[in-house]
Amino acid sequence: MRRSAALLAGFALIAVLAGGCGKQSAASGGNILVAVDVPVTGDPYIAQTIKHGVQLAASNVSGTSGGVLVGQKSYALKTKLYDNHGSARQAVEDTRSALGAGAVAILTDGTGAAATWQLAQQKGVPVCITYDGASGLVDPSKRPNVFRIAPTDHGIAFRYAEYLIPKGLKIGLLHDDSGYGQEGASDLQKAFSRNPRSVALRMTLPAGSADLSAQILRARRSGATALLAWAQPSTIAAVLTAARSIGWNVPVYTPPTGSDPYIRQRLADHPSWIDGLTFASSRLTAEVGTTPFENFEAQYESAYGVDKVGVKTSAGQPVVEPPEFAMYSYDCVNLLAAALTRAGSTDPRKVQAALNQVTTIGANGDERGFNQHNHEGVVDDDVYFARFHDMTYAPVKDDPLSSTLPAIPQTR
Amino acid sequence: MRGILGSAVGLGVVALATAAGGSAQPSGQQVVLPGPVPYPTDSPPLLGKTALPNAYLGPLLHIASGQRVFVGVDSEGRVARVVDRQRLLVRGKGDYQVAISAPVEDVRAAAGSESEPGLRADQVLWAGFSPGRKVLAADVILRPRAAEPYLPVRLKVRRDGDRVTLTATNATPTGEMLYAGTTSPPELARLLDETRRASLAGRRLAAAYATFVGLVRVPKQKVPIEAPLRVEGELRLPGQAPVSFSRTLGDGRPLSFRVAARGGGTPKVHLLVRPSPVVRLLRPPGAETWVQAVRRRSLPAPFLLRRLIETRMRLVRADQYQSFLSDPDVDGRSRSVYEYDTLAASASPGVSAAPGDVGGGTSALLVVAITLGSVVLAGGGLVLWAHL
Repeated sequence: MRRSAALLAGFALIAVLAGGCGKQSAASGGNILVAVDVPVTGDPYIAQTIKHGVQLAASNVSGTSGGVLVGQKSYALKTKLYDNHGSARQAVEDTRSALGAGAVAILTDGTGAAATWQLAQQKGVPVCITYDGASGLVDPSKRPNVFRIAPTDHGIAFRYAEYLIPKGLKIGLLHDDSGYGQEGASDLQKAFSRNPRSVALRMTLPAGSADLSAQILRARRSGATALLAWAQPSTIAAVLTAARSIGWNVPVYTPPTGSDPYIRQRLADHPSWIDGLTFASSRLTAEVGTTPFENFEAQYESAYGVDKVGVKTSAGQPVVEPPEFAMYSYDCVNLLAAALTRAGSTDPRKVQAALNQVTTIGANGDERGFNQHNHEGVVDDDVYFARFHDMTYAPVKDDPLSSTLPAIPQTR
Repeated sequence: MRGILGSAVGLGVVALATAAGGSAQPSGQQVVLPGPVPYPTDSPPLLGKTALPNAYLGPLLHIASGQRVFVGVDSEGRVARVVDRQRLLVRGKGDYQVAISAPVEDVRAAAGSESEPGLRADQVLWAGFSPGRKVLAADVILRPRAAEPYLPVRLKVRRDGDRVTLTATNATPTGEMLYAGTTSPPELARLLDETRRASLAGRRLAAAYATFVGLVRVPKQKVPIEAPLRVEGELRLPGQAPVSFSRTLGDGRPLSFRVAARGGGTPKVHLLVRPSPVVRLLRPPGAETWVQAVRRRSLPAPFLLRRLIETRMRLVRADQYQSFLSDPDVDGRSRSVYEYDTLAASASPGVSAAPGDVGGGTSALLVVAITLGSVVLAGGGLVLWAHL
């Protein structure tokens, strides 16, 4: 009897100790809704990659990490997809719907953000842009709820000026008449304003036009020795077609749209026309090495498969697109989760304030974060240049930052 | 961080040395001397209340920090505004992501900066890539009440009739523990010469050891150690010739001084304060070097040891005031100059203005004049309109 009592007491003690020492899981608080507003029917590649980045991060946070700890409770992150069709008007409708559904944050490619931020701000809901780099979109003093993780037009334009002017080129600054092209042209104007001698001409191209022969001929006659085309992928494809088809092997530089799979698909019959095309974007790897990005890419591919470009190298290997923009939306969700924990509340206003104070390790190993003066998660210094060869691209070697970066494998 | 780590290391070495002495070994033991660290107090550099994010500094990068700390004082010498213009010079190619902790109210890029500083609660952030050389400059507006205790000089301005007196006091003294024991005068003389050379060249102290025979004793009484300061400036009264001054506070000289001027109106004070080397206390008595001085005449070992430790402590304290804000590179060279100026009466305490912009009275008067003028004009216009 005494032995039984002692055993019972022993088990009880062990149970108490085990309970005390074990990791207590927080009570479930339910779901937190994150709205994703992207141009599913306007730019399916961008929409899909952003969506996948969000879903991957949400799934990691809610699954592997056991949810977002907010105060004493743990919440799962749920995502809801809206299709803005690339239309600002539709983006406004989507924002209204998302706010009505109780979204604590809205991730967007940037479509209509100039109109939607005010709606969101009425409820204190943060808006995170993960594609559009237009300069006016983000302003912490006027638009305190707008954040961005994507290379900015300003950063790309100034990095291009820094990169191209010392080469002594006469540059033809081209842009199309899309909103994207016009925003970029504005930043190019500022970036090259101190060195007008470097600019051979400035020209607006009609977006969506398949034949730009006349415009490119004019650019050639202006004495341009390089073209910097800030335009939609279809316009860039048309610029390359027009230049190469008259035998003008002028170097062509572009913003991140230059890496859009559409261009390679469109020019698949003339792979040599793509060779030498240089685009600027934010680097995919940090100084810590390629491992973080490779881990992220492996996770992405195991969840969604590879993003096939639809072309092959000369050796017949299928080309895939690294999940660059997925990385930005992935990082944005992780920052949101960190802000929720720091705020200790699901009140969007508190989350918005906390977003200024948190840092996370991004998918590429760099630290990501915003602050009270800067809502840009990608610093201008991180803009690098990559050049195509044989349907894949690699960082250039004649720029200090780019020369330090490794090439990301793009064949499977 | 540098101070705390250094403190831990320094104390550890001293403790080991003391323990070895306690085991009654008659042979000599190497005891670490003060410098380059630990710093005797946690601040400066200033510290904020929030935890810093992980810093990253590429392995090939080095950052030097130059600071000009603008201190705005009121008509009685009380601190009303503190703005630190910090200029970080990044050398080398690679990434940097650093944060500087301080009681920060606001921050903005200063002239010449090649990047924009970020602001978080009590943190200034810098992140980017250095292509080989990069300048990061910011005006960091600090909370005056939090920064004031760590400023090197305290000012007091008193008016008595038409006589105005300015008192400037070295505010850096802090109590430090000395240690004593049986040492060798020639070795101490050599160490004093090394310390003097470093001080006169403006170099940071290198780590140094002295040989003690037997027990290392630590007297209970702390001694006050100050950072020697070079103070230059003037006291100005309207319509009067300014009274200029140039003094060293510390290094065996008085820790405060007083200047007076006569005249009416609001006194204006302008001071430049620089941590300065130890010169006077390291001057060898009657010889070119301490080694020669010891050869010429018998200088007692306890005197030499105390002089060596105290002067090294002063140099460490002076080095501490070279970093009012921290340098993100713990091995980086840091220099600070403190500039005190009387704020215009209209400038409200805590309101940030551009450093060096210590005027403001004229523009305030102009605004008042324009406003009054507008009211008069509008009134006159109304009267005229009513009579038309």
